[in-house]
Amino acid sequence: MWRFLVARASLLVVLVLAASSAMVAVTSLAPGDVTTESAMFGATTAQVARERARLGLDRPALERYGLWLGRTLRLDFGTSFRYGQPVASLVAARAGHSALLAGVALICAVAIGLPAGLLSGSGRFPRTAGVVAGVSLVLLSLPPLLVALLLTFVAARTGWAPTSGMQSAGADAWGTGARILDVAWHLVVPVLALGLPLAASFERVQQAAAADGAGARHALAARARGVGLARWLWRALWRPTASPVVSVFGLAAGTLLSGALAVELVTAWPGLGRLMFEALATRDTPLAAGCGAAAAAFLAIWTTLGDLAAWWLDPRLRPEGGR
Amino acid sequence: MTPPGEALAAGRGRGRRRVPIAVAVGLGVLSIVALVAVAAPVVATNDPSTQFADRVLAPPMPPRFVDAAGGWHLRPFVYPQRLVDRLEQRYVEDTSRPVPLGLFVGGALVAPVDPAAEPWLPLGADRLGRDGWARLAFGARRSLGVAFTASAGAIALGLLVGLVAGYAGGAVDALAMRAAELVLVLPVLYVVLAARAALPDTLPASTVFALTTTVLTLLGWPMVARGVRAIVAREALAEFAVAARAMGASPLRIVWRHLAPATIGFLRTQALQLVPAAILAETTLSFAGLGFSPNAPSWGTLLHDAADIAVVVDAPWLLAAAGAVVAVVLAINLATLEAVHRR
Amino acid sequence: MRSSRRALVPAFAALLIASAGFVVACGGSQPSTPAPAVDRRPVVAALRAEPRSFNRLAAPDRGSLVVSLLLNARLVELNHKTHEIEPALATKWSLAADGKTYTLDLRPGVTFSDGAPFTADDVVFTFAAVYDPKVDSPIASALTIGGKPIAVRKTGDHQVVLTFPTPYGPGLRILDSLPILPAHKLKDALAKGEFAKAWTTATPPAELAGLGPFVLTGYAAGDRLELARNPRYGARGPDVHPGVERLTLRIVPKQDAERVALEAGELDLLNSELRPDDLKAVRTLASAGKVKTYDLGPAIDAEMLWFNLRADQKKPAAARPWTDVRFRRAVLQAIDRQAFVDTVYLGAGTPVDGPITPGNKAWHASGLPQYPFDVAKAKALFAEVGVADTNGDGVLDVKGKPFAIELLTQRGHAGRERGSQVIAGQLKKAGLTVDVVALELPALVERINKGTYDAIYYGISSGDTDPSVNLDYWLSTGSFHVWNPAQAKPATPWEAEIDRLMQELTGLTDASARQARFAKVQEIFVTNLPAIFLAAPNLTTATSARVEGLEPGPLYPYLLWRADTMRLAQPH
Repeated sequence: MWRFLVARASLLVVLVLAASSAMVAVTSLAPGDVTTESAMFGATTAQVARERARLGLDRPALERYGLWLGRTLRLDFGTSFRYGQPVASLVAARAGHSALLAGVALICAVAIGLPAGLLSGSGRFPRTAGVVAGVSLVLLSLPPLLVALLLTFVAARTGWAPTSGMQSAGADAWGTGARILDVAWHLVVPVLALGLPLAASFERVQQAAAADGAGARHALAARARGVGLARWLWRALWRPTASPVVSVFGLAAGTLLSGALAVELVTAWPGLGRLMFEALATRDTPLAAGCGAAAAAFLAIWTTLGDLAAWWLDPRLRPEGGR
Repeated sequence: MTPPGEALAAGRGRGRRRVPIAVAVGLGVLSIVALVAVAAPVVATNDPSTQFADRVLAPPMPPRFVDAAGGWHLRPFVYPQRLVDRLEQRYVEDTSRPVPLGLFVGGALVAPVDPAAEPWLPLGADRLGRDGWARLAFGARRSLGVAFTASAGAIALGLLVGLVAGYAGGAVDALAMRAAELVLVLPVLYVVLAARAALPDTLPASTVFALTTTVLTLLGWPMVARGVRAIVAREALAEFAVAARAMGASPLRIVWRHLAPATIGFLRTQALQLVPAAILAETTLSFAGLGFSPNAPSWGTLLHDAADIAVVVDAPWLLAAAGAVVAVVLAINLATLEAVHRR
Repeated sequence: MRSSRRALVPAFAALLIASAGFVVACGGSQPSTPAPAVDRRPVVAALRAEPRSFNRLAAPDRGSLVVSLLLNARLVELNHKTHEIEPALATKWSLAADGKTYTLDLRPGVTFSDGAPFTADDVVFTFAAVYDPKVDSPIASALTIGGKPIAVRKTGDHQVVLTFPTPYGPGLRILDSLPILPAHKLKDALAKGEFAKAWTTATPPAELAGLGPFVLTGYAAGDRLELARNPRYGARGPDVHPGVERLTLRIVPKQDAERVALEAGELDLLNSELRPDDLKAVRTLASAGKVKTYDLGPAIDAEMLWFNLRADQKKPAAARPWTDVRFRRAVLQAIDRQAFVDTVYLGAGTPVDGPITPGNKAWHASGLPQYPFDVAKAKALFAEVGVADTNGDGVLDVKGKPFAIELLTQRGHAGRERGSQVIAGQLKKAGLTVDVVALELPALVERINKGTYDAIYYGISSGDTDPSVNLDYWLSTGSFHVWNPAQAKPATPWEAEIDRLMQELTGLTDASARQARFAKVQEIFVTNLPAIFLAAPNLTTATSARVEGLEPGPLYPYLLWRADTMRLAQPH
């Protein structure tokens, strides 16, 4: 176990450095830099040159990367070029919002996808299985942006949920309970946009695993004995097939991060994806690197948790010598 | 209702003698899509980049058999459109002048008999007045081309890495699997952004095709490699493999003749998942501006133009590319339904 | 296999049900939000991007501009509707005989939102901060005349004297961009050299103090800013107060999301204009009484198409036929401007002849040289400069070698992407091959700065209608003289002539003399076509039905520039 955790911790460090270095590369190698905005809104050429010197942008790219790496290894994530505030505080709040969205989306995906997959893979309801399969395939073949747009449209037309933002206007003045409900209400569209495609992929995996399991001898034997449906679903289908599904959880993190950007843009959710996108577009190197680091850390922790859960469920999967 | 075991057993027998309808439908749809993509210049009703200024956001013009008065015609025809209000994007069908359609008119498969008449837009027009159907057909070439090439590449690369890792074991295996994990876990979009930033701004369409295919191959191989490696590692311990080794067969022969065939079933399921994923990934890349440019339409760039609430509400025919992607994915899954069940 | 056939039907049934649901939602009626008895909800305005800072002197972006307009007040305000300046913190002013000394009387009895009195010290302090080299303010260039600052002197608690370095045509108009900041709160930061870092968006709202109609009560990063009416507001007199208790600025990154939010009743004020695609839907809502639309007329700024006229080019001159004015005239004549308007703006636009649109009523000159749409004439002009169809394939080439122009534009800006595609399509009909490439804004600006492009389709928005405020564009030495910036000396006689006329009219204060000279500048411009202007969109903006009292105008921000007359409509 300790060897595994140490290996995972080193993977986290590698990932964080790789992702944030990639962000530094994008913002440094891509043409233009953060002073473009000032130039557009009235700064003179001399002022732009001075601003570049102040931010260190007139030094060669490798030297800038070295300086940045040195600071980051000391856990100093620097100051945003545009906002003039420490990157850590800018990223922390938005990362929290993204984590909330991703977490609730995952719960939604699990709550919808797994039971649907169990039911459709059990082989007892072929017609329902067909419907579920059709819906899953449609969801899996639509880009996340489009799903978000369609849901926003439905929300706008029916008024069931707000179309954008995290809280209603004036929510500062409300009590805590009202504010929690308000955020929950604003979560509806983004969570569905992010969670439904994920639910579809969970359903597909669970269905495949359960269809295998349903044919397995002990499942058949249980059915032959007349075990009740619910109990049969849990004992004979879920427990043995849980691990391939749970190992897919780990991969869901990558999907969530990529889909989160589209969803956050359409629904104006104040999350990490949008912040990273804007930082990249405006070439705000320290902020982009900080966002990349946060995203990578999120991924590494998530996949580790996914693997741990898989092993708890199915000891056969533990890595050789990994106890 | 028969117990599942019996149904499976019965199906297995029957499947060999008769092609199920689902598979036929799936294969049929896929063939049509492939034909459209290959024969795009003939199937398209207009040049995909021609802008018709009087047809901005025009709705689809479906071929009809029944005219406004209720009379039946053997030959399909369309009603030409007239622009009523430009700002409101309102068009009205001119029911007094039905234009019949004919086969093989003026180089196109199906076209209005009178070529000088107004353009036929079976799927309407986009924001610049360009023919939606033509862009869909030409876009199919790029999107499906990238998707199938990238899937084939991912399978080939994944098979290679998986075979080597599974057979060699030890450090080679560990290294390969760590690399696979790293790729699986990295968020696609941002990695591609980094790569794209290092390249020149303007790339010709063929370069973009090659690049997109390479990127999708590199993103697809880990899943394949992991599965192949697991199968190979398991099979290598089986009796026949041990026996072959004992008889002095070379590793290459063992791997290729004995172990690789065991992976075919897995590869088939992977292919099923890879192709739709590649189509969608190309869509996302083009949407993010990292794939094809708007001059070279692909389904991704079409969706990029359509990713707008105004489209969903006012001009849903612009979402035809999304419909096409859904259709292709469904068709692939239907065509291989039997393969999934028979395991 | 039987189960697969059984699976087929329900799969399509699922699709049908989903599509049916979609169709029902499409055709469904608008949601009816019950009208509350007393409307206590804040007024919600959209903001495209977050402010970079609450310190306008340190942040050049639009988000900071809007927030500053609401939290701070200025000495004079430029009316976005009439384009004339009006008194605000300065009640009256007079110009001395030397033409460069203004005496301004400040409004007495005005206090900041924290109760501290507003005096001439705050004006002097603000000017000092703007010109401070450690601050290096991006808005300083707007307040610098010929490279020299304006001298400010206090002559009483409520009087200041501004001495311009030279007589200046726009006069006090430039003070519209200078928010007056509280000396008592920020003078320590200025003294310590930390002014540029003061009042970042992490500053607690209680720390801020301003003279504007609103105060900041809360900021949720990435989501919204909450503002409340400033009870101590008196910058435009004791009788002018906002009629709105609470205002929320909601960050809405995508323009199409604004329209949805407006329809759903979640938004009251749009950030900018409506897109042509949304006009139909919003007008339908307006006729149902749910929203109000405002017609702002033609935009002040039109997009421009310009070619690279710089001297430092690697490409041989033969490969750059656009350096000859006849080529540029041919391009203009090859484009059907009405079709352009019809496609890009769906007809809601006005073809223009030159750089100043009819929306800029004071400065628009008529009677400029005309280049009507004439493809044959365009082809003849192309042939005169050596671009002709020598091999009969319908495509123009140069001496038999294929000729294509790379047209760059801004990715993500629908109007510019569309416009450049239409231009390419129109020129293709004349045989000219144009490849449109959409680049991200920083990449595009880099190309402009380095001069590595053939042609660009882009637009520069000005904050003021007075051309003397944009000398960087008109003068050949200017950094915004985009086709050939920062020239050591004028490259052409006509640019030298424009330089002379612009310098003259900037130093005059008589309006008609200035306009006459500027009409001449426009004539020279259109004769030599360094940049081609095709059309200006007709701007329309909208608000919900519950807000009234606004005075929309075609300068950004269209609605919030005068937020202190905003009030809620009374239910009737």
